[in-house]
Amino acid sequence: MGAKRRLLALPGVSVILIFAVAPLFIMLYYSFQGDSQGAGLTLENYTRFFEKQFYLSLTWSTIKNSIFVTLVSLAVSYPLAYIMAKKLKGVRNIVLVLIIIPFFTNQLVRVYSWLIFLQDGGILENVLSALGIINGALGLLYTRAAVVIGLVHAFFPYMVITIYLALEKLDNALLEASASLGASKFETFRKITLPLSAPGVAAGLLLVFVPCLGTFVEPRILGGVNGMVIGTVIEDQFFRIYGWNFGAAVAFILLAMVIVSVSAFSRLGRGGSLE
Amino acid sequence: MNKSSFFSGGLVLLALLFLYAPIAVLIAMSFNASKYNRLPFEFSTRWYQDLFQNEALLAATWNSILIALATGIICVLLATLLVLGAQALSRKMQRALQSATLMTLTVPWLILGLSLLLMIRALDFSKNLFFLLAGHVVIALPYSVLALQARVQSLDPALEEASGSLGAGPLTTFRRVTLPTLAPAMVAGGFLSFMISFDNFVISYFLAPFGFTTLPIEIQSAIKFGFTPEINAVSTIIIGISLGCLAVAGLLLELGVSQPGKKNNRSQFLLDVSAPKQYNKT
Repeated sequence: MGAKRRLLALPGVSVILIFAVAPLFIMLYYSFQGDSQGAGLTLENYTRFFEKQFYLSLTWSTIKNSIFVTLVSLAVSYPLAYIMAKKLKGVRNIVLVLIIIPFFTNQLVRVYSWLIFLQDGGILENVLSALGIINGALGLLYTRAAVVIGLVHAFFPYMVITIYLALEKLDNALLEASASLGASKFETFRKITLPLSAPGVAAGLLLVFVPCLGTFVEPRILGGVNGMVIGTVIEDQFFRIYGWNFGAAVAFILLAMVIVSVSAFSRLGRGGSLE
Repeated sequence: MNKSSFFSGGLVLLALLFLYAPIAVLIAMSFNASKYNRLPFEFSTRWYQDLFQNEALLAATWNSILIALATGIICVLLATLLVLGAQALSRKMQRALQSATLMTLTVPWLILGLSLLLMIRALDFSKNLFFLLAGHVVIALPYSVLALQARVQSLDPALEEASGSLGAGPLTTFRRVTLPTLAPAMVAGGFLSFMISFDNFVISYFLAPFGFTTLPIEIQSAIKFGFTPEINAVSTIIIGISLGCLAVAGLLLELGVSQPGKKNNRSQFLLDVSAPKQYNKT
């Protein structure tokens, strides 16, 4: 043990420092570079972002979109996790496995499967027409709704798992005690189940909200021209417009949003305890 | 069956339907003769035949497998050393290390990929396989680390000391005491890193050298330039491979290191494997 053993950590630490931390500093440097060569450090990339209405409203719509996806995921995940933890007995493990399996399917394969599912003349349109629910083209692909569907599908299983793990640990005796002391079902839920599952909920919110902020694949493929978000702006700057310095600045603004959300959510998670 | 459990069952089924409907359609369409994913369904294996003649797609698949294998092996080695070394660090250093590991999980891949691209530019290199692999290792490493971290805590230091005082050298101790305890987590961690790399599109998209493609990159360009049903076929094969790997890894764990008193290893493995994804809980 001791000094020699500590050295074992060195290769891993170096990889993180050289290939994750150092590049971020290089990116920070680029974000303060102007378009003219050798002009020294400048704030112009950041001022350009904050002065243009276009970028500000895009930022706002990215945040709104992520909040919406997160809330929809919560509405799906909480009841599902609750049922899995408290109601299902025999098939619980099977359901758990079925929820986890999509973690191991390719992101692009999943997005692509939504593309062929939602497209005009696709399966969903066929099914809905046969049921007489719609008449004519579905018109769902390349809308904001399609992006939301794709993102919820991609991320809600994470939230199910985090909430499930929190609820599974919850002692049934607590619930029984609460009921026998005369609390209504709703009161028990509000005063015991909900606060004790708060860390799982916070973890789940984080696991959905943060990846949503930074994604560009789902919005690009399922949203088409209606799918513009911060992520696609950054991608465009690097791959189409070659505005690398400006792209680096936008990437840092995105990173700041991520850091703020992570610290906010982890505070929320720590707050979970019984009064 | 009462009303409430009927409602519960229905909700679970609806959620699973939402989760699997598009994937099921994709698999069905890979066996459908229609070129544009249209009904009526007419069984055909044509797209699979086309696929095996599509040299570009096969080469991309091979590239993806090689990169993922290299990433998986490198990550397990680095992560094993990292968690063993971290044990000897002070509390404060351990916490700093933990934040650094979690940082690579929290920062969007888009940003990690682009910053590496800028680093290549700042160093005046052109894109190359070394940096592609480095990018994959950086994003996959935390998954191996988290899988191993849980396990290393169950390592009893007294056992290692006993082995040492009985005259075993550090290598023998590692091989006979430490390694057997860590082995299941190494399998789980390596598997996770392999899958993260194999499925990764973003990092490869930014860092792949000119003319080098991976499977996700091929799928993306097929989506961009019009649908080709071969993509349905290749996607179906990827889903099959992923599930196969998952089953093999689970089985290996069960056969190789079945621990007495710990039942239900397979579903435990699934939770172990998905646990690192709940990063901010640790």
